[in-house]
Amino acid sequence: MRALILAITALTLGFPALAQDQVASIENQSIQVEAVTVKANGMVCDFCAQAVIKVFGREDAVESVTVDMNAGEILIDMKPGQTLDDARITELVKKSGYAIVSIDRALT
Amino acid sequence: MSWRALGISVIALSSFGAAEARPVSYPGGWTVMQHNNGNASSLHVHYSPTFQDSIGYYAESNWAYDWTFQGVQYNRLLKRWNTETSQANLYVKAAAGVADPFTGGDESLAGFVEIAADWETRRWFTSYSARGHDMGFDRHFSQSARLGVAPYVGDFGDLHTWLMLEVQHDPETLDPVTLTPLVRFFRGVQLVELGYTPETDRAMFNWIIRF
Repeated sequence: MRALILAITALTLGFPALAQDQVASIENQSIQVEAVTVKANGMVCDFCAQAVIKVFGREDAVESVTVDMNAGEILIDMKPGQTLDDARITELVKKSGYAIVSIDRALT
Repeated sequence: MSWRALGISVIALSSFGAAEARPVSYPGGWTVMQHNNGNASSLHVHYSPTFQDSIGYYAESNWAYDWTFQGVQYNRLLKRWNTETSQANLYVKAAAGVADPFTGGDESLAGFVEIAADWETRRWFTSYSARGHDMGFDRHFSQSARLGVAPYVGDFGDLHTWLMLEVQHDPETLDPVTLTPLVRFFRGVQLVELGYTPETDRAMFNWIIRF
């Protein structure tokens, strides 16, 4: 009987700790931030870059956007735990007036 | 207030149809374009629902042909060629409105149609445009072309500088062919051009902002 009480007590005390570990694990996953590098053709002037920044900047999932004109790349930082799929990125680049070449993703 | 007075008051008064700036913006973008070259001055305020279209107000006072025009202008990007190092565009523009002669005659329904093309890298720029005007009391054709070079290649957000030469052909004016050397400064959403046309002894000032 004493052993049973000890077992129940241990489980009762241990469950919140286990639950906290799980929550922490989920939180760790959700604070990962995705950085997307999009290579596009046609971005040869600041007005071109402005178009990309305006169009991507309206997306809820996007934290910040900048353009590397030397590399012809759009650099997008997503909000924690959010993303844009390839189809949406392709659509946005086309909507900006440019032609997509590649999409690379990295988690930080 | 007459159309002419309104036009003059609205625009501080360019080289109509000058082959120098893209007439469409990003979706949801507004653009104000003001051009002045001594012979003519114009103001074009337009909205782009897509990257291929824009529509807006256009006003021009033209001292070479002696009229003021105000109306609605629609611009369409017919084709864009994007490459890794360049972009080329083909546009058509059309405007409809009313023209008022400086000579005091009756105002008239008026309009123009223009075809424009450009090709640009980060170092080189070239463009061409041709416009046919029908002001009711005045019908004429004009065309212009530009060649430009950037003395240095800046990155996004830098101040960009271009040295350009514009040739304007207005067959029915006193100086049918004019050459205008100009410098373009371009940073962020703003573009300013300063030039001088020796044949007419006139200064050029152009300003564009997108927002």
